[in-house]
Amino acid sequence: MPQPQMPGRLARWVLVTVAAASVLWQSTPVASGQASPYKAPRTADGRPNLNGIWQAITEASWDIEPHAAAQGPAPALGAAGAIPPGLGIVEGGRLPYLPGAAEQKRKNFENRIALDPEVKCYLPGTPRAMYMPYPFQVIQTPKYIMMVFTFARAVRTIYMDDHMEAPADSWMGWSNGRWDGETLVVDTAGFNGMTWFDRAGNFHSEALRVTERFTASSPNHLLYEATLEDPKTFSRPWKISLPLYRRLEPNAQLLEFRCVEFAEDIIYGHLKKQPSQ
Amino acid sequence: MTMNRTIVWAGLGVLLAAAPLAAHHAFSAEFDVQKPIKLTGSLVKWEMINPHSWFHIDVKQPDGQVVRWMIEGGSPNQLIRLGVTKNTLQVGTEFVIEGYLARDGTNKAVGRNFILTDGRRLFLGGSAPGGDPVLK
Amino acid sequence: MRDRFLIVVMVLFAVLISIAPALAQSTAAGRATTEAGSYRVPRTPDGQPDLQGYWTNSTYTPLQRPEGITRDFFTREEAIEIMKKAAAAESEQTTPGTIADVHYDFTQFGLDRNQGGVPLNLRTSLIFDPPDGRLPPVTAEGKTRAAERAAARKRLGGPWDAAQNQSFSVRCILMNRAGPPMLPGAYNNYYQIVQAPGYVMILVEMIHEPRIIPLDGRPHLPGHVQQLTGNPVGRWEGDTLVVESTNFTDQNPFAEGASEKLRLIERFTRVADDRILYQFTVEDPATWTRPWSAELPMLRTDGPIFEHACHEGNYSLVNALAGARADEKRRAEDAVKKSSQ
Repeated sequence: MPQPQMPGRLARWVLVTVAAASVLWQSTPVASGQASPYKAPRTADGRPNLNGIWQAITEASWDIEPHAAAQGPAPALGAAGAIPPGLGIVEGGRLPYLPGAAEQKRKNFENRIALDPEVKCYLPGTPRAMYMPYPFQVIQTPKYIMMVFTFARAVRTIYMDDHMEAPADSWMGWSNGRWDGETLVVDTAGFNGMTWFDRAGNFHSEALRVTERFTASSPNHLLYEATLEDPKTFSRPWKISLPLYRRLEPNAQLLEFRCVEFAEDIIYGHLKKQPSQ
Repeated sequence: MTMNRTIVWAGLGVLLAAAPLAAHHAFSAEFDVQKPIKLTGSLVKWEMINPHSWFHIDVKQPDGQVVRWMIEGGSPNQLIRLGVTKNTLQVGTEFVIEGYLARDGTNKAVGRNFILTDGRRLFLGGSAPGGDPVLK
Repeated sequence: MRDRFLIVVMVLFAVLISIAPALAQSTAAGRATTEAGSYRVPRTPDGQPDLQGYWTNSTYTPLQRPEGITRDFFTREEAIEIMKKAAAAESEQTTPGTIADVHYDFTQFGLDRNQGGVPLNLRTSLIFDPPDGRLPPVTAEGKTRAAERAAARKRLGGPWDAAQNQSFSVRCILMNRAGPPMLPGAYNNYYQIVQAPGYVMILVEMIHEPRIIPLDGRPHLPGHVQQLTGNPVGRWEGDTLVVESTNFTDQNPFAEGASEKLRLIERFTRVADDRILYQFTVEDPATWTRPWSAELPMLRTDGPIFEHACHEGNYSLVNALAGARADEKRRAEDAVKKSSQ
């Protein structure tokens, strides 16, 4: 059907203005807390597509709080084993430990080689697995979103329906997920209390509940936010946030990081048969 | 027909042998077949973990002292599929446990039989406390 | 009480197998041809044949055909009889004072295969090629390697001298039947399959082994990058998922003795709503004189798969090592007492 024609110059002005406005709209900086204008491509069932291989770029694995560079716990490794400086991922900077828990954290830090579950190749827990410096893969379906991690081949199953309470406690926790518009919201509980948040001894109890939000912010990164609640350890809930970046190499894939063999002497060495006199 | 049957039953022995028995070797290294024990105690905690679950129980000795024991049981994974949770077994549940003592001299044993005070065997050695499990 | 339990088991067992469809016949090449009334595999939203769900591959069928049996298949009636007897045998209690009795009772925890569901299988062995249902002859190189492996194990010392002297299963590194190829072990023979565009993922329950299979036809890893479970690449051939794995290490825990040259081809075909036919071909000219193939059904079942954090909970290995050290100490003390008498 023929449209009424605008006068030529007016049409060009309208087009230029509309184009300029749309460019400005796309590049408007996202204020924190506001919905991102980016909308991820959809999966076949109409949800934001979070499939892919992702990785955090942060020094949180060493210490989730802001921290300066420091000597590492294995001096023989020199600079290669030092703790790199980091801005941390904790909103507000410091963790709100209860007094007794702050003392426990200090003890954890002083004895971290002996106590850090990562050293023994134990499953890293949630959220620590999300910001370890290795790729992880998201495999997303309507009923289950699986997350597979390089370290110790840890697996998280996020149940998108048939939500239930954790039948028993676990290292990675029991995760129930749902969609909130563009954001995947995951509630995780049922922790066994044996995981840490980082290599600095920051820890939690079995009462921990984690609420995560995953929001695609560009084709190649997600905004990851998590609220941590543990009234046995902290005086109030606290929050972390960091981007997760897509691994863009062609044929990017998870390789096997089976670390049990690297930890066996540490765990079982004291029970080895000693050579007889 | 008789000949075929004989072959079938002979084959049966091998089929049954397909049941993996290697696991028993590790168990007999952990626990002592020469030291059967029978304990009566109450549940402190059922650690629902893998590869084997562990029942922490308080055993009252004849002298009145209460001693903590750890008793090895099976992986909880199939029970979880049948609806068993960490709330199924109440703290304080009384058991009789027949089993074998650990070789390392500590208060540990493998639980060959877990028997409740009413004589039922725990979970599927009878009917599970708190409801019948669904059998596949 | 136990008799009643057995009766319940037998009745439910009969119900289970009566609704199991007859297994699809297979050619020696391992391609399943479905019987009359062929099944139409549903599709995932992105168009893949849908293999998703929870599955179990428990079986009473041995890998190799027993001596004295020459047929490929039992009749349905024979197979059912065998399975009933095997299920009853599993429920039998061990004799006190025997080594077998030093164990928790599988049936109390639902871990015997029968309680988890065992799909009907008419085959007399899992191996169908070679046609005699038995492993092909081992090559000279394979025999040498087996002897070298045995000698290396002996050099390590006694089985409980150190954790590293034990199997990958006992050390919670990899259950030796978890594969690939994926064969059922003692219990928890469960798998969860999920599919997203470009990938099939199989979560093996035991030690939460995650298999991520890309479908984009990418090349395998460089040859020197070896992994315990190899490097899988998948593709669809019609409705069959074909997965080729190479890049295995020389520590291959596959119990039949494969080398690092192993090339494994697996095929997954959904033949009924509640059944996947799983087939695999082992090509390892360094070990066997010819390739060999086996197949077994996967039966649809219920989840969930609870976290099998084996290494994290491995008190047993600590206890066994401590027990061995305690035994040695006792023997040494007894020897000192004897010599001073």
